[in-house]
Amino acid sequence: MNAVAVVGLDCVFPAARGAEAYWDLLMRGGDAIGPLPADRRGYGFDHTVRGGFLDDAAAFDSDFFTLAPREAAAMDPQQRLLLQCAWRALEDSGRSPASLADTDTGVFIGVMGSEWAQLHMADYAAVTPQLGAGSSAGMTANRISYHLNLKGPSLAVDTACSSSLVAVHLAVNSLLAGECSTALAGGANIVLTPALGMVYRQMGLMAPDGRCKPFSRDADGIGRSDGAGVVVLRRLEDALADGQRVYAVVRGTAVNQDGRSNGVTAPNKWSQRAVVAAAYRRAGVRADQISFIEAHGTGTALGDIIECAALGELHAVPRTRPCAIGSVKGNIGHTEAAAGIAGLIKTALALHHRTVPASRFATAENPQLRLAERGLSLLSAPVRLPAGEVFAGVSSFGMGGTNAHAVLAGPPRGPRPARRGHPAAGVFTLSADTPEALRRNLAAQAETLARRPRGDAAAVCWTSNRAKTGLPHRAAFTARDTAELAETLRRAAADHLPESAADHTWRPAAVGFLYSGHGCQEPGMTAALYREHPLYRRHLDDVDDVLGPHTGGSVRDLILAGDPAVHRTRWALPAQFAVACALTRTLAGLGVLPDAVLGHGAGEYAAAVAAGVLELPDAARLVAAHAAAADTLPESGMLAVRGARAEIEDVLTAHPELFPAALDGPRDLVLAGPAQALEQAAETLAERGLHVRALRSAHPAHGPAAAAVADRIHTAFATLSPARPGIVLASTRYGRTLADETMDAAYWAGLAVEPVRFADALSALVHEVAPTCLVEIGPAPHLLRLAERADLPAGIRLLHPAPGPDATGADLAEALGGLYVSGVEPYWDALYEPEHRRAEPLAPYVFSDARRYWQTARPADRPQPAAPAAPGEAPAPAPAAAGEPAAAPRREPGGTPGDPVLSAVIAAVVEVGEYPPEQVHAQARFYEDLGFDSVMIMQLKDRIERHLPHTAGLSVQQLLPALRSVGSLAAFVQEWAGAKAMA
Amino acid sequence: MSTATPPLFHISGTGRALPGDAVSNAELGRAFGISESWIDVFVGTRTRHFGRDLASGKVTHTLTDLCAEAADRALAAAGTAPADVDFLVLSTATPDALLPTTANETADRLGLTLLPTYQLQAGCAGAVQALDLARALLAGGHRTGLVVAGDVTDRFLDTGPDVARLPAQELVNYVLFGDGAAAAVVTADPGPDHTALAVHALLHHFAGLGRPPGQIVGWHGAAAPDPARRMLFEDYRAIEAQVPDLAAQTVAELLAASGWAPQQIGHVLPPQLSGRMTDRIMAGLGLPAASREVSCVRETGNTGNALPLLQLDLLAGRLEPGGRALAAVVESSKWIKAGLALERPATGRTEDRP
Repeated sequence: MNAVAVVGLDCVFPAARGAEAYWDLLMRGGDAIGPLPADRRGYGFDHTVRGGFLDDAAAFDSDFFTLAPREAAAMDPQQRLLLQCAWRALEDSGRSPASLADTDTGVFIGVMGSEWAQLHMADYAAVTPQLGAGSSAGMTANRISYHLNLKGPSLAVDTACSSSLVAVHLAVNSLLAGECSTALAGGANIVLTPALGMVYRQMGLMAPDGRCKPFSRDADGIGRSDGAGVVVLRRLEDALADGQRVYAVVRGTAVNQDGRSNGVTAPNKWSQRAVVAAAYRRAGVRADQISFIEAHGTGTALGDIIECAALGELHAVPRTRPCAIGSVKGNIGHTEAAAGIAGLIKTALALHHRTVPASRFATAENPQLRLAERGLSLLSAPVRLPAGEVFAGVSSFGMGGTNAHAVLAGPPRGPRPARRGHPAAGVFTLSADTPEALRRNLAAQAETLARRPRGDAAAVCWTSNRAKTGLPHRAAFTARDTAELAETLRRAAADHLPESAADHTWRPAAVGFLYSGHGCQEPGMTAALYREHPLYRRHLDDVDDVLGPHTGGSVRDLILAGDPAVHRTRWALPAQFAVACALTRTLAGLGVLPDAVLGHGAGEYAAAVAAGVLELPDAARLVAAHAAAADTLPESGMLAVRGARAEIEDVLTAHPELFPAALDGPRDLVLAGPAQALEQAAETLAERGLHVRALRSAHPAHGPAAAAVADRIHTAFATLSPARPGIVLASTRYGRTLADETMDAAYWAGLAVEPVRFADALSALVHEVAPTCLVEIGPAPHLLRLAERADLPAGIRLLHPAPGPDATGADLAEALGGLYVSGVEPYWDALYEPEHRRAEPLAPYVFSDARRYWQTARPADRPQPAAPAAPGEAPAPAPAAAGEPAAAPRREPGGTPGDPVLSAVIAAVVEVGEYPPEQVHAQARFYEDLGFDSVMIMQLKDRIERHLPHTAGLSVQQLLPALRSVGSLAAFVQEWAGAKAMA
Repeated sequence: MSTATPPLFHISGTGRALPGDAVSNAELGRAFGISESWIDVFVGTRTRHFGRDLASGKVTHTLTDLCAEAADRALAAAGTAPADVDFLVLSTATPDALLPTTANETADRLGLTLLPTYQLQAGCAGAVQALDLARALLAGGHRTGLVVAGDVTDRFLDTGPDVARLPAQELVNYVLFGDGAAAAVVTADPGPDHTALAVHALLHHFAGLGRPPGQIVGWHGAAAPDPARRMLFEDYRAIEAQVPDLAAQTVAELLAASGWAPQQIGHVLPPQLSGRMTDRIMAGLGLPAASREVSCVRETGNTGNALPLLQLDLLAGRLEPGGRALAAVVESSKWIKAGLALERPATGRTEDRP
């Protein structure tokens, strides 16, 4: 079946910023017609002009799209609005725009030329490359493809007022032909000049009050309006397979032409009827199945009569209810190139809500239309659509005779997977381009969520993981309940975001896993997680199956029973090993793989498995043998001491039978030895005010007393063939990362007797890998505590997926959120049960409106603006940049502030992009931060030469490698000039 | 097992909303200076929920909050989009305001529009009354509806310091009641996979002709309260005496209406007066001892209108394919007997619930 789903949408129309506001306007029967905004008025275009105008068409979040202010200011506002709509529509489709980068996604945009171009390109002295791109109609589509990195077809189509519905038709066909897998379709229209209004007036089509009054006896012409809208389309089967929300289904579209009618701009009844009939045929529906039609309905007397006559020829059939007709032009006016998408979005929302809004002016029905006898009726009040399958049509006709019609059906209403149980924990994620934007969007999400009835948060979280990730500043919040989540988000937004919630992720994530060793086992450890989380359950079962033959019993059963026997050495090591391996596998299933591992003593067995050194069965045998051998040793004990080695040296001398089993930190030691000696030592040390704590270990771990364990490993595992670690492995035997040594039987035997050099190993790991986060793989926050006291570099996040015996899926989710904020890209789906992987509506992205760009160039008949900034250089449209000072310039490696070359380079960059000066500092990167392109590079070279005449002769090719940051460029220029002077 | 006559309608999803954490007898005892063991022995309720903070008395959940949450959960369980709801019926004795109705506030919260809404002023039988109205609406051509029921106690139980000095007759109200709401999605069709509960008989009769009220719940507005007006009164003796009989009558009538034999009834949803009373009522219903009781009052307290739907929500997780259940409800203010005969179609499956 030719079924294409509308899975996402966004729009901006007069008095309706966003789809929700648009629907609200329609349901209220709102009127968006008013006077021309003051900032557009000029010669022949004054306060008497009426129409539908965006009140803030100048606002544009250029920083979000990394566009230099100079370029943003040169862009047709149609391009700017479409970029923002495209982003929001894609998010609304439940997918992060970043996830579509590099795909065959197509972009189909309807525009009617560019009044911006008419305004700006006529002044030949003022043209710039930026203005050239900014004024091109084709760029409306190409900009979207460029900024979102979409590689499918990308084209603008101009069929006058039917442009955007024709764009939808092309997008649908492209999808059905398999040319693209996702398509963005839409259109934009911004009224900037009086010219077209004058044309309409001369043709007798202009309503004196600027209001379209469709199908009304008062209809007397059209009013021109602004608008932009984008829908995201997918083949229905793909949308359903990906769990996307379906607003409506496009079942058939058609486009035709009037051909040689009564004049090139005259409507043609026969062709209108033909295009509607063709769409019905493609959709496989009969006229009597159509519940309502969003008509072209411009409200010109002739246009209304011809449209109703054409529809009447199809719809005057026996039917239980007349087909309702209406037109959104009664609310927002004629948005011309965006009219088709305005109608399509209205229709999709109507099918989604199963409610058709009333059509304004329907109470004064034009009797000449003879609607009743044509099987048609006007919607004077909103109506609920009947249950079951519903069809609707959308018409859009162009002045030049290109007609388009689309047939839509309601979304498939199959039963959703419903299963009830303990509400599962999810992670709500949000990302934005700046910390301020993150706060702004947290507030928007909180507000939308708070309006919902309280409910389970998992599906909302899953949706956010898919749609709201991908931007550099990130936040993550664990939640089970939407009301609590809304409150958490509200507080986070108001709190100016704790540092823990936002990270700049320019630095790639590096994850270190820390495996705890002796004495960290707890009865019932991770049992709650096992019961709640299927992923962990599966992995612990698997590891237990491998261990069982060697331990002579199930450590899983022991754990789940909360049996204190887990403290016996025989069980303690295998149980900890099983938990560690299962947690590692669970995290791997969630997309989290370590870049480095470190195991504390016996924790190295699981670490070696994670690093690919040992296969799980070999490690399981080793652990079981180690545990069995240690279990036969004479009983002894261990004592943790909070003190430096120097502070206890005399105690060690006094008790030669004591042995430093672990060197955990500058002031963290563990002593091992006979119980009596330990007791005496503890007493002495406590008297000195040192904190001491006896560890739960019946048998010596490490030290000479463990020699029997070493012997056993040595003899039993002589054939062990370990691999080289695939990632960095910090050895606590050596107190450094492993180089060429193999982890053979001799290694493990040595590990069993030698002291654990945790502090040195951790320090080596941190030094070599520079982790963004350290994750404790064990049932208690043992190594994280040591890491906290280890004086690590700032900014390392310490995470624990299973803290304590009561840890649940919420703790695992919390750790995953921390990893995401640290720059990891988890495989979120694995966190959720299938029934929670269902798209829920979320608030769309809220762009910054702090920057405004409006035309400053004037058509030739108006006064010219002030003199150009530099002699010989044409003036560009100037940004009316407002507010939002960027972060204060940071201190700079690439040049000292005050350095004349750096200052000159900065000045040149500021001029080229017309950036706010504070945005350009030595660390600013040309492509990522400043949005530089090849045109700007050419201009930059000229500017630098002007500021630094001695750089004349420097070629663009020479500059290119240095164009990393402003600082690197300044350094290069300095060096080049110096070399030239020497020569 | 199949029934010859087609079902009256179907219940395709249920949901509940109980505010905050469960309040134990020990906590309640501490808050009001009431003996914990007295509650255990004479009432039999173990926990309940309150939509307000007991210490400050501040309301944390309005009835609208609870009804919207329960309805949203029921819609999710049924897999029904809000746009597909054709009508809403809400029953309560304790609306957030006389106007606007809690029914319409709930509809607004759910995003429902252009559909008939009703609010029934009712007691414990309110949910069955609402289902009866839903039956008529479905028979009249609607396809899908929402039935919501709930009550909140904040206007009737004063959390002030003098509670412990109240006479036992009034004090008992503090330990009997709880706040909550529950909802059901009702449909004319059994749904594509026939998992909905089928309602085969519905009884709803006023039975209070000549009987003095067993319960009075008063209200007052801005005018000075009439000291003679009773705000909350329960005739426990009358209730204890009459409810078991009326419940037994209800069961007999439901069996007659459905044509089912007593031994075919696997689950019973008895009136939920209190944990203690339920045992007595069960014993007198004339159903086989093997039939299993589905009760919630011990955990939720008496949540008024919500009770039958809370029991239905439990039943939805327990009733096996082909299983049959009877629900009996007695409203003791002016005496209404009401009930349902329910069946899980043999082809359906029990909801997977831990």
